[in-house]
Amino acid sequence: MSAADETPAVTETVAETVVVAETADVPPADAGQKTIWSTLSFWGAHLWVLGYAGVLGGAFTIQFAMGEFPCPLCMLQRYGMLLSTLGALFIIMQARRGTLTSTRYMQGLGMGALGAMAGALVSVRQILLHIKPGDPGYGEPVMGLHLYSWALITFYIVVLYVAVASMVSPRGIPVAPVGGVGRTISTIVIVIFMILLAANVIAIIFLEGFAWVLPDDPISYGLIDQLQGQPIPSGG
Amino acid sequence: MDIIILTLLFITAVLILMGAKRGLILSLWVISLILMLGLFRYHVTSALDLSF
Repeated sequence: MSAADETPAVTETVAETVVVAETADVPPADAGQKTIWSTLSFWGAHLWVLGYAGVLGGAFTIQFAMGEFPCPLCMLQRYGMLLSTLGALFIIMQARRGTLTSTRYMQGLGMGALGAMAGALVSVRQILLHIKPGDPGYGEPVMGLHLYSWALITFYIVVLYVAVASMVSPRGIPVAPVGGVGRTISTIVIVIFMILLAANVIAIIFLEGFAWVLPDDPISYGLIDQLQGQPIPSGG
Repeated sequence: MDIIILTLLFITAVLILMGAKRGLILSLWVISLILMLGLFRYHVTSALDLSF
């Protein structure tokens, strides 16, 4: 057999090896190494989740304690925050399992950035709706800014975080602590976020009821009204 | 529609926690994003009365 006949066999073996490495769900060769950057990016993702959990908790406080009902655009900004946070949650869970590769890290960051940009789109629309002098805006301001202005700031922070995390990613693929206090704190952050997400599902069922969309300016919980015999609104 | 979007987001989060297949997670996430943008389009009922 000539050398030319043997070459395709070698190529085939290499191709098989590549396929196996891509499909197996075991710690891959490009999994993160534990460095200061990998630790920082792991806890940075937690700060991201905790930050948005705090924002959603604050929105709940305003909704229930101050009796201010969220408008459709307010809810859409919450979805942007949740879509973005799912990117961070994806990164955290992959890191905790030890299966986070550079590809999966980039996917998580991409989810985060896209979610933030979608949310920012809604924030900008709502800011522009109330930008004219003399317009009081929607709802009460918090620390001088309306909630949709704060939301836009958080979306920019997320995009900035994703940009910086992408720049340091060759050395900063998150690596989770194996056990101990770090693991417990990580679990607590995830549980807090999941509780707030579940609470949002329950709250929107009460707010929207059997209607397809929220009214433009909600003043009550639709489900309770509809169960008491009031007609179901046909649109926003 | 809001209930569907939030339920999808919750299911996606649960699937992430359970370690479901990436394709499934990303598909549900993308569907949620499309529904969110569609709902945004629905609520944008008029052009802004602004001129810069």
